[in-house]
Amino acid sequence: MDKAAQTRREFLSTAGSALGVAWAAAHWPAIASAHSHAVAAVADSGTATFGFLSAEEARDVDAIASQIIPTDESPGAHEAGSVYFIDRSLQTWQASHAAPFRAGLKDFQAGFNVAHPGIRFADADSATQFAFLTTVERTPFFEGMRAMTLIGLFALPQYGGNRDGIGWRLIGFSDQHAFSPPFGYYDRDYPGFKLPDAKA
Amino acid sequence: MTRTFKQSEPVDFVIVGSGASGGVMARELSVAGFNVVVLEQGKRFQASDFEHDELKYWFANGLTNDPALFPQTFRKTSADKAVKSEPGKFNPLMYARMVGGSSVHFTANFWRLHPVDFKERSLLGAIPGASLEDWPISYEELEPYYAKVEWDVGVSGLAGTHPNEPHRSRPYPMPPMPAKSSGVLLERGARKLGLHPFPAPLAIASQPYRGRAACVHCGFCMGFGCEVQAKSTTLYTMIPEAEATNRCEIRTGSYVFRVATNPKGRVTGVHYYDGDMREHFQRAKAVVLCANGAETPRLLLMSANPQFPQGLANSSGMVGKHLMFNQGGGAYGTFEHELNEYKSVQVTRVVHDFYDADPKRGFYGGGGIDARIGPNPIFWAMNGPTARNWGKTYKDHLRTFPRTMLAQGHTTSLAVEANSISLDPEAKDSFGLPSIRCTYKDHPDDLRFAAWLQARAVEILDAAGALKTWNEAIAESSLAVHLLGTCRMGNDPQRSVIDRHHRSHDIPNLFLCDGSSFVTSGRGQPTMTIQALAFRAADHIGQAARRGEI
Repeated sequence: MDKAAQTRREFLSTAGSALGVAWAAAHWPAIASAHSHAVAAVADSGTATFGFLSAEEARDVDAIASQIIPTDESPGAHEAGSVYFIDRSLQTWQASHAAPFRAGLKDFQAGFNVAHPGIRFADADSATQFAFLTTVERTPFFEGMRAMTLIGLFALPQYGGNRDGIGWRLIGFSDQHAFSPPFGYYDRDYPGFKLPDAKA
Repeated sequence: MTRTFKQSEPVDFVIVGSGASGGVMARELSVAGFNVVVLEQGKRFQASDFEHDELKYWFANGLTNDPALFPQTFRKTSADKAVKSEPGKFNPLMYARMVGGSSVHFTANFWRLHPVDFKERSLLGAIPGASLEDWPISYEELEPYYAKVEWDVGVSGLAGTHPNEPHRSRPYPMPPMPAKSSGVLLERGARKLGLHPFPAPLAIASQPYRGRAACVHCGFCMGFGCEVQAKSTTLYTMIPEAEATNRCEIRTGSYVFRVATNPKGRVTGVHYYDGDMREHFQRAKAVVLCANGAETPRLLLMSANPQFPQGLANSSGMVGKHLMFNQGGGAYGTFEHELNEYKSVQVTRVVHDFYDADPKRGFYGGGGIDARIGPNPIFWAMNGPTARNWGKTYKDHLRTFPRTMLAQGHTTSLAVEANSISLDPEAKDSFGLPSIRCTYKDHPDDLRFAAWLQARAVEILDAAGALKTWNEAIAESSLAVHLLGTCRMGNDPQRSVIDRHHRSHDIPNLFLCDGSSFVTSGRGQPTMTIQALAFRAADHIGQAARRGEI
């Protein structure tokens, strides 16, 4: 099987949950029109209000995304604007999944309160958050959160979750119209193809 | 302004499909002096329409058939219930719906078949559970047309580089693409193991060629349309040359749903819908189906009528049978220094030392291994090797992207009669036409060989000095981009659909030429052979037409 098919199969197996990116296909026409909203929201993220998520919900979504790709010596999902990408997505190309998402988040918070009564997930310390997430990491809600966070982080910045190319810089990817050789360390001094028995 | 033709006046040829084979067929027949109408389901993109947008093209079916409009169903065996593809996910059989077809978004690996591919039944004997047959043509008969693909369509590569290389009459017209770090490492590892890596042949211009620009190494080949026209898709090569003859019309948004026949048992033209679902009929003296290995058998089956109750060209019952995908599996390797595999073409080095089947292994199979890019950024992020695919540890894994490569195996699929394309009895597409029902279960040898070759890929990566390797287990096929074997070529009208010149055994003025013509699967990268077959078929079809034998 070609890698194209294989990677898609792998994708389906990891992201086939309710919140998988595959929603994009059904809602594709709405995505283009969502660009300007997402860009505007991210550009204005310091003061932007959320269109779908309540302020409390947004704090939880941001906290979960920040555990999925945490901030360490380099920026993470928080700085990349994942919560804005998700908020905008739930109003546009993923609008049909907004209600299940909200219900999933509510269940998530309720589950968190079983172990930690009286405190919102977003207000817990990082170690507590991480420990709880390890208990729910196979749930559709978390799988969806993970998918959305990663998709936003590595899609074109215009979609809103890869602000300033933070995701791309994390993995050393550069989107350019053109490159020239050498491309990496190992082809730098490559002399060109020679048969093994050819004299150098 | 390109030429247009009236529907009411029969053109010499209607070609259904404008992809890898249809584009070649259109160019060859129009250059030879025939009037040709090409009916294409999709639209026509320009190079300027394409973007580096992974979300849109890979995840939102931006170029491929959308299950929301054209759903398919899939089952492993006839005992299973076929499951329909859902809107927002992927169809099991993926192909582009546009002028140029899947040659627009393909990766452009262009391997020739080897002489053994054409005669494995004679060499190996029958294989239980499979319908292994020799092709009715030999490599030597096809060789001049491979050369024609390389020169007319445009393939870069280097001849005379490995002992298993099939005979060739001409060198490549363009030098190979510059080696990437993955290619250098594959070469290093493979040579340590006594293997014979060689520069990858690619349908990508390594230098300006026939009015097209050279590749600028942007890295977006696999799954994307080329923005500089360096990729040798028929959209940029054969189609414009066909139109320049002033004898060829490419009619987009034209969805053929029935091939019409007359009481004499000849085809008279095709019925199709335009984008507004208005029905049309294009008359033609002869019809050539180049719609791909899924759509060609589907159209034959949809064309059933009282005279041909099993569908057209199907007295053998073989239409849609013997579907083959190509198996394969890869292994990732992470190295000390940066490779930056996201740059430039996907593949620059290939190993064909395991191409031939070897009965000593205890199972059938053959294949090649190539060095290539890991996935684009979203794929990379979604498919890491660790059990916990989030958090600080996962973030550190993601950082290895520039230092990681993939050694990818490409392997055989045996022809199994039960593996097939048929019409789903319930599911319909948005035009109300029966959905494709795919039935597919890999022959056990296909899975065993893919796993065997994957182990060789790991050895190569280790020999190249990988710090770490990992791989996914070989799995049964459920998604495919290579659609082969469903109207197989053969000398026996009881066991095949078309003759050695791509004429259907049953209907003298109906021809089929695309992946459906294959008798065996090759080892992957089928487009080169699809196009060589199209050049050869066009040659014979044109000669027959001149002799009044159609």
